[in-house]
Amino acid sequence: MALTIKQQLSSPGGILKFLIKYNTIFIFIVLVIFSALISDVFFTSANLTNLLKQVSGIGIISIGMLIVILTGGIDLSVGSLVALLAVIFALLVNTVILPVAILLTIIIGFSIGSVSGYLVAFQKMAPFIATLALMTIARGLGFIYSKGSPITFKSPGGEFMADFANNSTIGIPNIAIVFLIIVVLAMVMLRYNVFGRLIIALGSNEEASRLSGIKVNKYKFLVYAISGALAATAAIIVASRTNLGSPNMGMAWELDAIAAVVIGGASLNGGKGTAINTLIGVLILGLIGNILNLLNVPSYPQQVVKGGIIIFAVLLQKFESK
Amino acid sequence: MENSESEYRVEMTGISKSFGPVSVLEGVDLRVKHGEIHALLGENGAGKSTLVKILSGVHQKDGGKVLLNGKEINPKNTHDGQVLGISVVYQELSLVNDLSVAENIYLHKMGASKFWMNWKELIKDAQELIDSLGFDINAAARVRDLSIVQKQVVEIAKALSEDTKVLILDEPTTVFDPNDIKKLFENLFRLKKQGISIIYISHHLDEVFKIADTVTVLRDGVDTGSLPVSETDTDGVIRLMIGRDLKDLFPVRDIEIGKEPIFEVKNLTARDNLVHDVSFSVRPGEVLGIAGLGGSGRTETAKLIFGVGKKQSGTIILNGKEIKTKSPVDAVGFEIGFVSEDRKEEGVFLPLSIRRNISVTSFKSICTNLGFLKVDKEFKNVIGLIDKLNIKAPSCEVDVKNLSGGNQQKVALAKWLSIDSKVIIIDEPTRGVDVGAKVEIYNLINEVAKKGVGIVVISSDMPEIMGISDRILVMHQGTFYGELQKEQFSEENILRYSIGEPIK
Repeated sequence: MALTIKQQLSSPGGILKFLIKYNTIFIFIVLVIFSALISDVFFTSANLTNLLKQVSGIGIISIGMLIVILTGGIDLSVGSLVALLAVIFALLVNTVILPVAILLTIIIGFSIGSVSGYLVAFQKMAPFIATLALMTIARGLGFIYSKGSPITFKSPGGEFMADFANNSTIGIPNIAIVFLIIVVLAMVMLRYNVFGRLIIALGSNEEASRLSGIKVNKYKFLVYAISGALAATAAIIVASRTNLGSPNMGMAWELDAIAAVVIGGASLNGGKGTAINTLIGVLILGLIGNILNLLNVPSYPQQVVKGGIIIFAVLLQKFESK
Repeated sequence: MENSESEYRVEMTGISKSFGPVSVLEGVDLRVKHGEIHALLGENGAGKSTLVKILSGVHQKDGGKVLLNGKEINPKNTHDGQVLGISVVYQELSLVNDLSVAENIYLHKMGASKFWMNWKELIKDAQELIDSLGFDINAAARVRDLSIVQKQVVEIAKALSEDTKVLILDEPTTVFDPNDIKKLFENLFRLKKQGISIIYISHHLDEVFKIADTVTVLRDGVDTGSLPVSETDTDGVIRLMIGRDLKDLFPVRDIEIGKEPIFEVKNLTARDNLVHDVSFSVRPGEVLGIAGLGGSGRTETAKLIFGVGKKQSGTIILNGKEIKTKSPVDAVGFEIGFVSEDRKEEGVFLPLSIRRNISVTSFKSICTNLGFLKVDKEFKNVIGLIDKLNIKAPSCEVDVKNLSGGNQQKVALAKWLSIDSKVIIIDEPTRGVDVGAKVEIYNLINEVAKKGVGIVVISSDMPEIMGISDRILVMHQGTFYGELQKEQFSEENILRYSIGEPIK
């Protein structure tokens, strides 16, 4: 803290300590270098654009997952929420004007998240169980509303969204810009706003928070609701990219989001984690998939590698806390 | 095995240990002879527990040497310690509630030797061991069903089930009644005759003078003396423990106390009836002490006032106006502060920085309307409090888990000073705090009272509650049994009221 980076590096064993402390960034840089060396295609703008587009959806729900995990909870419903809300958005975009469709989708996401929040905060249900239930319900509703098949955009609003989602501004894909704006907002909120301060306090010691006069239940409720709203944002983006909403979207995304948050050094016990590290966690997961694709590794071994990286990252964090 | 040439069974020299930046032990020596009862004394936080945990292998020392029978040892974990014959009976019980007494006693051996257990033999052995201690406990009973005293006995039996050479007892008698204590002492004398060395940690000096051969005293991580019990007395030991005479600990109370009460509680009763019919009042500038035995409802009363737990009836009056505190949020809204007795679980946020800890109550004053922090104002506020309370830390960004107990407690207090609380209820203000910090906290309480704040202090520490209070209320079975004015203060009077007897 008080030490500058230079001092840290020059103390005995300093380089190792430094690497362990910033292990997320370190893993990320190693992966980028490795990717660049191993594949000529990696550093092409087409590939990088593609990579950013791929991670944006999961990235957005990862930020929601982060704030839930910061309070010591977990939200398993986000993957299914993406599916349900993508279906809802596709239905809405074909019936009402675009701004209303977007707004309604986000409100519905917030409301469904509120249900988890209510169960966790006011009914004292274990977050794992409450959101597990919501996960099944949302997936089921997705299939019901879509009648089991994808719903394609058939309106000018839909076309506009498809255009938006597949194009770039100053070289950066639009949906990645949306993701990055959300990351920056989360950073500001967690660092400089009372909301962020309080959810971190809440996650690090719920009883002390209660006895300090913090409205514990209100904030617990809010994080799930916000996670739901972010799932809606992710749903709009992924639906627009493919021009349709399908109940099969977002399969197991909640697990990728948890993985990204954990690789980013957050503690599942709550109270520890940052938005920027979650961003890097998301990029690391995306990079692994990307480079393995470039190397033509089939998807099954990819899952094995992903799991290995998660274990490695968490082991490194154990060293850090020693 | 016993014919080693070394004079001492255990010889710890120059032991040092720190947790993070906090140094807990600095060059401590401890020498225990064969077959001796060696008392290890010191205030909470002096480093006694850490020292024996290094001996038993729970913690690893940073520096120094540990010799057992003249041979250097380096236990890496409690299993290493046990193999060497070092057994510990901890304060916090370490039994598995859902297993039987016998299984608990032999837990460390289960799975080590054989695949199949001979249950009958196991229970028979355990029963013999317990019988030999002279206590009436069924070895086949489930630990969950035992009383706390019985559990403690099982702990001791567990420690003795090994081929124990060094037995460490960390405050074993806190839960015992005099009869049980007598039995325990008989056992200790018997073990001593068998040549077992016993390290006995206790707060009760009278016990120490009854059984120990030698005392070693620690203060703030340094050993301040080691001498045969026959060469010292209670006052001498206290001086070694706190580095001064007892009376110098407390500030002079020279505050003008207001006439009208700032805070009143009338007929407060909890729904679960753990607290009933509690009434008291505090005047501005007054320090009201609440004494009583553990479980008499002191903490419950404080929490009830603060909005934790459900009230059945009763009124709370602040500055002449009735207030309702349904939750801590309400209580804090009315500028009532509460410092919990359980600092680590309920008082501070261990993983967070000092700044984040202190600011948690005062966002209203350091935020814009949209909830954005005015960082410079926050820093000013926090640094001001760190200076005022003399919190010893390199910066306000240090995590509270790296502070000593005393400094953690000051952070817990600072939280309520950063907003101008009108009433502060402090439950066990100096538990686990070193002497220096104790004096500072007492002075701080005095200073805050001077500003007209009403202060309620709950404490089990008799010298403390008599030293800082203007008036003491004694609780017994969920309600106030008696009130003591300053001239009536004595340990005896407090104790009499605590057990529901009139004072003489």
